[in-house]
Amino acid sequence: MQLRWIELRDFRNHGDTRVVVPDGLVVAVGPNGAGKTNLMEAMFFLCSLTSPRVSDNKPLVREGAAAGYVRGEVESLQGKVLIEVEIPGAGANRVQVNRSPVRRKRDVRRQARAVYFGPDDLDVVRGEPGQRRRFLDEALVALWPLKESLITAYDRTVRQRNRLLKDWEGKGAPAGLEAWDAELVENGCALTRARAEAATRLAPYAEEEFLHLVGYGLACKYLASVEGEPLEEAFRERLIARREDDLIRRTTLVGPHRDDLGLAVREMGARAFASHGEGWAAALCLRLGLAAAVAEELGEPPIVLLDDPFSALDPARQVQVAERLAGRGQVVVSVADESHVPKNADEIWEVAAGAVTIQGAS
Amino acid sequence: MYEGPIQDLIDELSRLPGIGPKSAQRLAFYLVKAPPDEAKRLAEAIVTAKERIFFCRECGNVAEGDLCRICRDESRDRTVLCVVEEPKDAATIERAAVIKGRYHVLGGAISPLDGVGPEDLRVQELLDRVERDGVTEVILATNPNLEGNATALYVAALLKPSGVRVTRLASGLPVGGDLEYADEVTLSQALEGRREM
Ligand SMILES: [Zn+2]
Repeated sequence: MQLRWIELRDFRNHGDTRVVVPDGLVVAVGPNGAGKTNLMEAMFFLCSLTSPRVSDNKPLVREGAAAGYVRGEVESLQGKVLIEVEIPGAGANRVQVNRSPVRRKRDVRRQARAVYFGPDDLDVVRGEPGQRRRFLDEALVALWPLKESLITAYDRTVRQRNRLLKDWEGKGAPAGLEAWDAELVENGCALTRARAEAATRLAPYAEEEFLHLVGYGLACKYLASVEGEPLEEAFRERLIARREDDLIRRTTLVGPHRDDLGLAVREMGARAFASHGEGWAAALCLRLGLAAAVAEELGEPPIVLLDDPFSALDPARQVQVAERLAGRGQVVVSVADESHVPKNADEIWEVAAGAVTIQGAS
Repeated sequence: MYEGPIQDLIDELSRLPGIGPKSAQRLAFYLVKAPPDEAKRLAEAIVTAKERIFFCRECGNVAEGDLCRICRDESRDRTVLCVVEEPKDAATIERAAVIKGRYHVLGGAISPLDGVGPEDLRVQELLDRVERDGVTEVILATNPNLEGNATALYVAALLKPSGVRVTRLASGLPVGGDLEYADEVTLSQALEGRREM
């Protein structure tokens, strides 16, 4: 899959940027604040209608502008699609695919697929379990865009059940709790199975990347809050066993909102023991593993966007990563320093003050 | 922001569901600028509706008197009840002409996030009707979304001891959606394929 060209208008610090994106390894170089991360963010936004950095639209719109615009053309085995997004400072995006308005995110995500790595990904390895659940859900959506509904349905079920427990003032259990239990089991099992499948798909690739890059093993394993066969029965039993605690704590203590992704380096917990470089490598390899899993699922590689992947790696590992990125379809990498530009770049862009200049190959 | 009657009108309009402050402002200025009889017709329609429309004491649907048209119709089977969230859902199903029985309007769906619990719905009235009218089947046609499903599960559990057949209208309906967007063919298929709860 390839992004042919992209156009940004009033998107973050880009007033009017248009760039043709070649296949292969593209490197955007420029000092921090020049707008290279914003450019990569726009590329991901075009494919997924979400920013990898912020949950709100407002920061995406250039200061003083009423709306930002991103448009571009994506070519895949299924053909070419023109995607156009108008991003108002407040309110819903207006999205067109091939000049026809679309309402749902999945109408875009079915056509364009991108995987994004950024420095914030270090939190996936070193942060709270919630960061790893978010990674699992991003993986789920990247692999199967239609399954996003499983995430939203479960999330709303938990919030409904928690509110019921919080607002309950009487003795025993509130009326309707059993109905929400049943919903929790149904939606929770669906999400557990989907996350397990996503983890199973990406883990071997992530482990392989890490072994190649670092020289020793990474173990990546989905740790579900509820396990057992049949899953529905196990979930129901756990829920009943913890019901007293749920009523005392007034919150839901069992379910995939308490899942984790176990990451271990050299048989030790990566979060507690990994050096900064190890953690960074693990975070990067998780995204590269996801990209490989998506490639397997789609039959063609997704667009890979790596924002500043080299800064925490030593020079030898930088070269190793860059070499592994060759031949993986379209990969756009940003670096802050000229000296980090890989030798095998197919095209180099210089980004300064929200403008892009093409410099040619290295 | 404005003074006197125009602000009062904006305030009243913005209380309506789905109307934000901006829309309220637009509507208010539209009405003020409109020909006098246009605004008057709207005001009268609201007052008349409020005076003449009641809720059926049997099923909770909208009615012009004590009982709605369907509950007054003796040819409608009393022993089959189709349970819906709102009067508009009963109207949607009625347009598809797939139910020979009668309706029961709950008045919403259970949703703790919106502060709606079972006690806010016409659930007891449903249990009373089932017992009194010798109901043999209750078709749960709450919306095919999270809250509609939870409501159906809750009602089904309450009906279980009565031994009445409880079915759920679901198959073929767009999951996560609203009943009112389903067409007649989809609705009749959903009824055909209804499953036991
Ligand atoms: Zn009636």
